Amino acid sequence: MTSQTKTLASLPNRTQPSQRLAALVHSIIGSRYFLYTLSIAIFLSIWELAAVNKVLGNFLPRPVDVLIQLWSLNTEPLASKTLFEHLWASIYRVLIGWAIGVIFAVPLGIFMGLNPYVRAIVKPVFDLLKPMPPISWISLSILWFGLGEESKVFIIAIGSFVPCILNSYNGIRLIDPALYDAARMLGASRRQEILEVGFFASAPAIFAGLQISLSIAWSCVLAAELVGSRSGMGFIIILGMNQSAPSLIIAGMVVIAITACLISVVMGRLENMICPWKRELPQ
Amino acid sequence: MKNGQAKIEFQNVSKTFIQKQTQRVHVLDDISLTVSENEFLVIVGPGQSGKSTLLRIAGGLERPSSGRVTLDGQEITKPGPDRSMVFQTYSLFPWRTVAGNVEAGLRFRGVEKRKRREIAHRCIELVGLKGFEKAFPHQLSGGMKQRVGIARAYANNPEVLLLDEPFGQLDAQTRILMEIEIQRIWQQEKRTVLFVTNNIDEAIYLGDRIITLDGKLPGRLSGEYKVDLPRPREHTEVEFLSLRRKITESTQLIL
Repeated sequence: MTSQTKTLASLPNRTQPSQRLAALVHSIIGSRYFLYTLSIAIFLSIWELAAVNKVLGNFLPRPVDVLIQLWSLNTEPLASKTLFEHLWASIYRVLIGWAIGVIFAVPLGIFMGLNPYVRAIVKPVFDLLKPMPPISWISLSILWFGLGEESKVFIIAIGSFVPCILNSYNGIRLIDPALYDAARMLGASRRQEILEVGFFASAPAIFAGLQISLSIAWSCVLAAELVGSRSGMGFIIILGMNQSAPSLIIAGMVVIAITACLISVVMGRLENMICPWKRELPQ
Repeated sequence: MKNGQAKIEFQNVSKTFIQKQTQRVHVLDDISLTVSENEFLVIVGPGQSGKSTLLRIAGGLERPSSGRVTLDGQEITKPGPDRSMVFQTYSLFPWRTVAGNVEAGLRFRGVEKRKRREIAHRCIELVGLKGFEKAFPHQLSGGMKQRVGIARAYANNPEVLLLDEPFGQLDAQTRILMEIEIQRIWQQEKRTVLFVTNNIDEAIYLGDRIITLDGKLPGRLSGEYKVDLPRPREHTEVEFLSLRRKITESTQLIL
C-alpha cells in the first residue's frame, strides 16, 4: 500500500517539467484568444508590408497613420464637426428613416399575411418595387426632396421598408398551421388566435426583419451622404477621396464598421429580451 | 359496450378535399362508428388512410362532406371545450413555458390566474413533469414535450381526448415508455379516448377496441377487434401475439 502510493505520487513528479511545458504551450496555441490575436496581427502585418512597399501606390496608409487620423478627427473638427458629431448625424438619419420605414412596413406586412385581399392588392406593386436597390432612388429623391435631410431619410426609409415588410408578411404566412389548430382546439377565439399564435409565432421573423432593415439603413445612409452632404460618415469618406487622404477614408470605414457591429450586438440583446423562447437556440 | 352509453357517433361520414381548386381527393368513405363513454378506442391504419382526418372531424377542425358526427347526440361543428387534441408534432407554443402551455386553454376561456395555476400544477404533476414548469418547450426532449401536450389537453378537463399519432415522432424506447404513461394517466383520469396510430402493437397495448382502416384512399373501416386482455398488458403474451397475428392477417397491412 505504501509503495503504491509512493509510485503514484512520484509518477507525475518525474514527467512533470516537460509535460507541464508542453501543456502550457498547447494551451496557449490552442487558446481561441491567442488565435484571434494572431489572426489580427497577421492581417495588420500584411497591411503594413503592403503600405511600406507601396503595393497600392501612395494611397494605402500604414495602420498607424489611420490610428493617428482617428485621434486627430476627435480633436480637430472637420467641417466644424468632430468625429462624434459626424457619427451622430449619420445615426440620427438612420434612426429617423428606419423608424418611418418600420412604422409603415410592419403593419402592412402583417395585414398582408392575415388578409388575402390586402395581400392581393399590395403584393403585385410590392413585388415590382422589391428588387430595386434602395440606392437607385437617390437621384429621384434628391429631385423630389432636395439635398437636405429629407432626401436622405427617404432613401433610408425605402431601404428599411422592403426587408421589414417581407419578413413581417412571411413571418405571419409561414406560421405552422398546427399551432392555429392547437389554439382552436384549446378554445381560442379568432381574436385570441391572432393575438396568441399570430403575434408570438411571427415575432422572431419580424424582429429579424428589423435587424436586416437596420443594417440596410446603415448602408443607405452612407450612400446618401456621398452625394452633397456636409456631415455624416459618408461625408468623411467622400472628403477623404476629394482630399486624396486615404487615411481619412479608412478611419471613416473603421468607425462605420465598429458602429454597425455595435448596432447588431444591441439588436441581438434586444431580441433575446423580447423573444426569450429563442434564447437557448444556437446562434 | 361495457362502459355504457355512446359518447361519439360517426354517422356515414365521408370527406372529400378539393385541392388546387379542381382536384378532388376522396379521403373518407361512409364511416359509421360509435365510441362509448370512457372507452379507449384505437384507430389503426397506414399513412394516408384518412385516420387523422377522421380525428380532425371529431375535433371540429374539419367538417365532413356528408354524414355527421355527434357528441352526446349534439352535432359537432367546431372545436369545443368538451374535446382536447394531442398532436403528433406536439404543437406546443414555443413562446410559452411548460406551465404557460398547460394553462393556455384555461387562459383562452378566461379562467382566473390563481385557478389556472392550480389546475396546471395538478396536470403537470399528473404527467410527471413536476419541476419543469418554467422550462421552454425547446429545452425538453420529445417524450417530455408530448407529456406537456397531454397535460395541456387534460387541463381543459375535456370529456373526450383525441390523440393523433401522439408518439409517432418518438424513438422506440420512449414510445413504449409513453404508452405505459398514457395508460397510467388514462386509468387515473378516465376519459373517452380516440387514439390514432399506425403501430399495431401500440393499438393492442392501449385499446379497449381497435378499428382498422383500409390502406388506400378513400379510407373505409375494414375491421373491428375487441381487446379483452387485462391491463397492463405484455407485448409478449400469447393472447397479445395471437391478436396481433389475427389483425395483420386480415388487413393485409404490413404493420
